[in-house]
Amino acid sequence: MCRGWRLAAGLLWIFAICAWPQGRGRFWMLEDNPAPIPPDANEKTEFVFARLRYPTFAAGYWGWRGAWATDYPKADRQFLQGVRRLTRIHVRSMEEVVDLDSDAIYDWPWIYAVEVGHWDLTDEQCKRLREYLLRGGFLMTDDFHGTYEWDVFLASMKRVFPDRPIVDIPDDDPIFHVLYDLDERFQVPGIQYFYSGRPYERDGVVPRWRAIYDDRGRIMVAICHNMDLGDAWEWADLPQYPERWASLAYRIGINYIIYAMTH
Amino acid sequence: MAHFLFKYPWALYRKGEFAFLSGWPVGLLLLVLAGTAATLALWLSRARPRFPGGTRRWRLLVLGAVQWSVLGLLIFLAWKPGLYVSTLKPGQNIIAVLVDDSQSMAIEDAGSRRIDRARALLENGLLGALAANYQTRLYRVGTGLEPVDRPAELQAQQPATRLSDALKAIAQEASRLPIGAVVLLSDGADTAGGVDRETISMLRSLRLPVHTVGFGDDRFRQDVELMEVEVPARALPHSKLPVRVGFRQHGFDGQTARLVIRAGGQILASESVRLAGTEQQFRTLVVDAGPAGPRQLEVSLEPLGAERNARNNALVRLVQVEDRKARLLYMEGEPRWEYKFIRRALEEDAGLELVSIVRTTQNKIYRQGISQPDELKEGFPQRVQELFEFDGLILGSIEASYFTAGQIELIREFVDRRGGGLLFLAGRAGLGDGGWGTSSLGELLPVVLPAKKPTFHRERAAVRLTSEGADHVITRLAPTGAANRDVWQRLPKLADYQEVGEPKPGAVVLTELLDPQGKALPLLVIQRYGHGRVAVLATGGTWRWQMQQPSDDRSHEVFWQQLARWLVTGALRRVSLNLPGLVLFDETSVEIRAQVRDSNYLPASLAEVKARVAGPDGSEKWVELRPLAEEPGVWTARCEVPHPGLYVVEIQASVNGEAIGQDVAGLLRQDGVLEHFRTEQNRHLLEQLAKETGGRYFRLNEAAQIPEEIAYSEAGIAVREFKELWDVPALLLLIVGLKAGEWYLRRRWGVV
Repeated sequence: MCRGWRLAAGLLWIFAICAWPQGRGRFWMLEDNPAPIPPDANEKTEFVFARLRYPTFAAGYWGWRGAWATDYPKADRQFLQGVRRLTRIHVRSMEEVVDLDSDAIYDWPWIYAVEVGHWDLTDEQCKRLREYLLRGGFLMTDDFHGTYEWDVFLASMKRVFPDRPIVDIPDDDPIFHVLYDLDERFQVPGIQYFYSGRPYERDGVVPRWRAIYDDRGRIMVAICHNMDLGDAWEWADLPQYPERWASLAYRIGINYIIYAMTH
Repeated sequence: MAHFLFKYPWALYRKGEFAFLSGWPVGLLLLVLAGTAATLALWLSRARPRFPGGTRRWRLLVLGAVQWSVLGLLIFLAWKPGLYVSTLKPGQNIIAVLVDDSQSMAIEDAGSRRIDRARALLENGLLGALAANYQTRLYRVGTGLEPVDRPAELQAQQPATRLSDALKAIAQEASRLPIGAVVLLSDGADTAGGVDRETISMLRSLRLPVHTVGFGDDRFRQDVELMEVEVPARALPHSKLPVRVGFRQHGFDGQTARLVIRAGGQILASESVRLAGTEQQFRTLVVDAGPAGPRQLEVSLEPLGAERNARNNALVRLVQVEDRKARLLYMEGEPRWEYKFIRRALEEDAGLELVSIVRTTQNKIYRQGISQPDELKEGFPQRVQELFEFDGLILGSIEASYFTAGQIELIREFVDRRGGGLLFLAGRAGLGDGGWGTSSLGELLPVVLPAKKPTFHRERAAVRLTSEGADHVITRLAPTGAANRDVWQRLPKLADYQEVGEPKPGAVVLTELLDPQGKALPLLVIQRYGHGRVAVLATGGTWRWQMQQPSDDRSHEVFWQQLARWLVTGALRRVSLNLPGLVLFDETSVEIRAQVRDSNYLPASLAEVKARVAGPDGSEKWVELRPLAEEPGVWTARCEVPHPGLYVVEIQASVNGEAIGQDVAGLLRQDGVLEHFRTEQNRHLLEQLAKETGGRYFRLNEAAQIPEEIAYSEAGIAVREFKELWDVPALLLLIVGLKAGEWYLRRRWGVV
């Protein structure tokens, strides 16, 4: 074997070790913003924050750092601290990364997908996501912006539910009142606000809280478009990040979880 | 010959009362007998040396015994033994001949119809023989007692056999007419449950003997018969109804029959059953109760070829499907998946209304399913009227200490007095870990919760049915027993489980779980408490049955809907209608009972209660119910149901003109159905009836003895006579025989 091949094989080996889940679906090399593993990370609990790992548009699972891993894992763990403190839900302190390709997805009735403006689900994944949602699973999507990313999101979602419309969630929907009354909502910008000076990204000026409902009027897919709740969770401990943004992001996230566990 | 030897008929010996006419004391007779025996023994012992050598002692004893028997018999006769007996005076008594003229007498066995054989018996001798000494009156027995002129009028067309009613009627006649005896010709297939004690007492007080002649085979060679069908009297719309069917067979051992349940001609459930043994077999089928209203279920075992009686293969039962929504309250201590999926399952059930409260944070609750914005605003009910609005209660992962002492007592009253159903779910704050075992509600629980903590484990656990759960309405997830077991075997593992200790006596374990070590623990345990029901489900993780199975799988929904319906079905209503049965066989009236309770579900003392009875012909009448002094809260009235068909009975209760509740039930009157069931000869009933009244049971070929037997009776116009026994030829022959025997033995043994 020539020296170049040996080098390539070695790098591949290192990459495989780093990219392979290191227990509880942890992807060390792919962490966007590393955070310490909590001491009770292995506790068996009722609720687990399941982060969806999906293939990225035109790049597969690993392209562009893996869009699914944005803000991962600090946003997840910091948000979970809030859920633990503010609710009676028995919550694990560490997230779980889940794939639609695995039947393990059915053990986690609540999943969070970020940057879905870059996802590209396979037909089989679309079918499995549809089945997951029809069984009673709940999907929260976040952190995608503007017309282009909406269209990319829609390209996969329309294959999941070709027959179900995506609608704006009315203010009186229980999801905005199950714990906190969220009648006054506003755009929650990501950390990019500090270098761009704009609260929005791309042409996503107006924040949208949208959803896909089931036949009994329950939300199956909660779509947070033109906002970045994940960044707000991630940077809630940054003194410069405004409290009102972080606070709303926490409230929305908690309401969505409690809604998913009650409807 | 027997008559010559014993001088009198056997009947006299059976009926007569033994006595001595000499007037000498019986004690003296015993003394003389004993003295004779002693004298004979003394004489034999002294005379023994005079007998030839080698005469064995036992031979002397035998000879002594024979001699003493002869002497004793003669002494006995010297006391003038005899029998006192009452004898009907010829020409002055009436013999009532009762003939079962019901449809079961039209059954052909022994080569002809039973009624034909009865008529032949009457026409070819019995009536004539009786008429020689008595007047005879012929009666038809069916739904009542009716005189007939000639045996030819008996056609076996009566729709029922009520022997008690007929015998009571004849007893009443006997109080004004000199009826000396009753002869009953019947197959004993009584459709009113047999001859009651009251009737027997009446006959005994009149000393009126009933002689019975049995018709029909004791057991058919080839027959399949439905013995019983048990169905709940009430159900919620589209709930699962368990139909328990009992049947037996003769002559079809090892064959297969099809058990079918229909409603309105449509098959609701069917199962092939293997016929085995002659003992009663049971099968439970589960059917959908259907929409609100009275629902007739036709249960049948499809007839097999060569069956003697195919009309005993089907029965009809009536179920009142209530037009109401049962209300269920679910109190959960924390948001969790089980809560979500229970809500989803029960929301699909049109017969249930689920109201739930979940503690989302330490100080906040979230209510779902409420009908008013203020309903349960303060959380779990604190007043009787609030909680008693519900029929069932589910307590999730919530500590006993969350409730006040008053609320705990309220929960007990809810089960005990209200008749509500209570379900405890497992959870990190449920059951033992929630302190329920040491709370005052611990006695309601069907299990003895373990004292240790923690008992709740977030580990996967497999499930399995117990034998009790195989046919239970809660755990029946498929139409047939075999399919149900398959469904349970395929169910995914539970997300978690809790140790709930040992079941209490009287509790029933319907399902078990297998912990990671493979140890079987109770999963679903139920029991009754007071008027209500209590269940424990030792998991908070049945949601995996929903998430781990295809979205069109209904196991999770069906299980929860059935469990919830079981919880609420037994709940009492403020006004409830009680009928003795929803199907009346051959009855012409029914007792309507209404139970009325106040707002605290205690027996009401003041109310106006009336019933509207709508008949099958469209007629309608109102009946006023009266309170029963001995049973507080109970109102009753008797109502005529003159025609066969479906009646609808609706009761309404009010206090000072204000309605407090109503209840409705269907009532089906069927005539002539029971005549085709248990149609073998009920010989036991006929024998008992004869025995208890001083009569005698006759087989058909013994019926010629009836006139002789009838002569001895204390009823009617009778004379009491003393029949001496000293000149009974059999006794004289016995004495001669004994002496001849002694002579023979002496010759043989050389003892002279």
